[in-house]
Amino acid sequence: MKKILRMLSVQLWAALGDLLVIGKTGKKKPVYIYIGALVFIIVLSAVSYYYSYMLGTGLKMLDSLELLPAIIFTAACFATLITTVFKVKGTVFGFRDYDLLMSLPVSTASVIACRLIILYCFNFMFTFILMLPMMIAYGRLASPGTDFYIMSLLLIFFAPLIPQVLASVIGTFIAYLASKFRHSNLLNIIFSISIVFLFVGLQFVLNGESEKLASLGQIITQQLYRLYPPARLYTRAVTGGDWVYFLLFIAISIAAFAVYTFIVKLLFKKINTLLMTARARADFKLGELKTASPIKALYIRELKRYFSSSIYVLNTAIGIVMLTVMSVAGLFVDLDAMLGGEQALELLKNNLALCLVFFIMLSCTTMASISLEGRSFWIIKSLPVAPMKVFYSKIAVNLTVCLPTLLDVVLLGIIFRLSMGGIILLLLIAAAASLLIAMYGLIINLMLPNFSWTAPVVAVKQSASTMVTIFSGFAFVALYFLFASLLPSELLANLGYLIFLLLVDLTLYIILKGYGIKRFNAL
Amino acid sequence: MLKITNFSKCYQKGIRAVDSLSLEVKSGDVFGFIGHNGAGKTTTLKAIAGIMAFDEGDIEIDNISIRKDPVACKQRMAYIPDNPDLYEHLTGIAYLNFIGDIYQVDKAERTELIKEYADAFELTGNLGDVIGSYSHGMKQKLAIISALIHKPKLFILDEPFVGLDPKAAYTLKTIMAKVCSEGGAIFFSTHVLEVAQKLCNKIAIIKNGRLVAHGSTAEVIGDSNLEEVFLELIEEKLS
Repeated sequence: MKKILRMLSVQLWAALGDLLVIGKTGKKKPVYIYIGALVFIIVLSAVSYYYSYMLGTGLKMLDSLELLPAIIFTAACFATLITTVFKVKGTVFGFRDYDLLMSLPVSTASVIACRLIILYCFNFMFTFILMLPMMIAYGRLASPGTDFYIMSLLLIFFAPLIPQVLASVIGTFIAYLASKFRHSNLLNIIFSISIVFLFVGLQFVLNGESEKLASLGQIITQQLYRLYPPARLYTRAVTGGDWVYFLLFIAISIAAFAVYTFIVKLLFKKINTLLMTARARADFKLGELKTASPIKALYIRELKRYFSSSIYVLNTAIGIVMLTVMSVAGLFVDLDAMLGGEQALELLKNNLALCLVFFIMLSCTTMASISLEGRSFWIIKSLPVAPMKVFYSKIAVNLTVCLPTLLDVVLLGIIFRLSMGGIILLLLIAAAASLLIAMYGLIINLMLPNFSWTAPVVAVKQSASTMVTIFSGFAFVALYFLFASLLPSELLANLGYLIFLLLVDLTLYIILKGYGIKRFNAL
Repeated sequence: MLKITNFSKCYQKGIRAVDSLSLEVKSGDVFGFIGHNGAGKTTTLKAIAGIMAFDEGDIEIDNISIRKDPVACKQRMAYIPDNPDLYEHLTGIAYLNFIGDIYQVDKAERTELIKEYADAFELTGNLGDVIGSYSHGMKQKLAIISALIHKPKLFILDEPFVGLDPKAAYTLKTIMAKVCSEGGAIFFSTHVLEVAQKLCNKIAIIKNGRLVAHGSTAEVIGDSNLEEVFLELIEEKLS
């Protein structure tokens, strides 16, 4: 037990260190990182509370308030499931310090326990931030007894277990299948995107207006329970005050986790060996070589790096992929019926710029591009290339990822029958926003690099740079409301917003040429 | 070829990793850089290679300051670290091609040199495999080949023989001799004193960030051998 705790403390410290820049000493401690993390937690909790309260208010008016815990619980579990699928390779299997840990005089079970607990800790933090505000919102609306609070609080600790088990199984299966093929990463990406679309598609099954929700309350509840059976146990426990269901939920969660841990123990070495042993054919014959200019070579290198990590692609491209799929789908489906009326359709039409920029802000590849140089950073530093050329290649990859938004704008223009001027304006906004997030993410990553990651998922999803970029990047999205409220028409708002984006682009470019180069040279 | 003048590098809390180091490497030199662990060898090599910024002094390659024009300096040299972490997701040939593109090596010459050195290091068959599948020694060989294909004037090598099999080590020594006979220069660190004594015409010994001996091998060693000289210098500092 002592060894497990010791290993766990070292690995958790390393994992948190990646996130909160602990141990990376500089002339000044990055206090703003901790403040930023705290603000992030507060804002996420506030959003969860607001959403829960609004949903609960609607449900209460329709006498279906007891659905609220079930909905939020299921949403939290699905969010855990989807995010964990991509974390499994790199956290439970295929992590960089596998050799070191397995060479220590500790049992394989101890190593596995550590890795699963680390994954659980991150999932628990996320679940806690989502569900605690829901509890408070429900408490305000329903005024439940003490049992509700005790059960809800205790069940938060067990809520992530089943989704983690499911996600680990799916994630391992995807990684295992993909490893059998030469272009394993491409397959990994395709599988994972398919899983995301499957879950997102299922959400549409449950989606609907509050009125429909209430009138189909029983049907919705049945669908929820069918989709995620543990939701039934959870709901009966917390809203019904049933201690039998409470204990049953805990028992099933623990049992699922225990069975999973046992199976992982049997397959741990085998799967890790498979994932970490690259295929070598040793039959190469030198043929004709293709040459390229230095800037093109840098761009190709960067693009190959991007597609070599499925987590990198999924974390940054999924937004654009979804936008593109929805834009194409919009040509064929009845949006009126889907969105629930003309009002919603009109609202969407008047805020297309906002929607575009939102998805673009989610698609930042540069926020991890410096970190992902990792221990190979010496290569680019020792080559005769100016830092700006390195930056251009990284920005170019980000712009490549955002390129489909130009097609999306045209499709949205057709769907909503926009004028040519309106389409051109949106195209310019998309281009300016893509450039903005590319440069912004790069600057943030230059400020907050992490070269000591043991798995790409740490650099891509769990680093301070990623958190700061995504969180503060939304400020650019939110600023659209300022233009929408100050300017009299949608056209002027879009024009004003475009000018703002271009000014920010210019500012970021100047920062990159000055501070960016200095910082790069100092790293 | 390489001129280091009063080079100093400080880390946190004013700790000087290297203190006022000055030395010169001329064309044709095979210059050995020796020191205990943590003496400042890698810090010095990284500063020469333009990877690490430094606080005082200057480093010039072909009379060009690394501070003022790092790109021009890097164009003239090649650096290989002691543990070459390469791009694991690239194949060996893709990595070599990338280096060739950056240094703008002509296609025909690139092909010829890759063939020559890959055959010499017996790595040709593996060039189509991803670097992630390579052993440490294979990565080391690939890094050496990548340094050779753009024909630099100056080689900065950090413990180049670590991880190489005996045949590859012999091949590298042969290549080093050839490079220097054609007017190039090599500045490398090593812990293997026999290799340094045999290969190098000049040697510098660094201790706690300061040069304690440098000059031609004959001058530094005198009537003794390099191992005895090195240990004597270390003990002097300890006592």
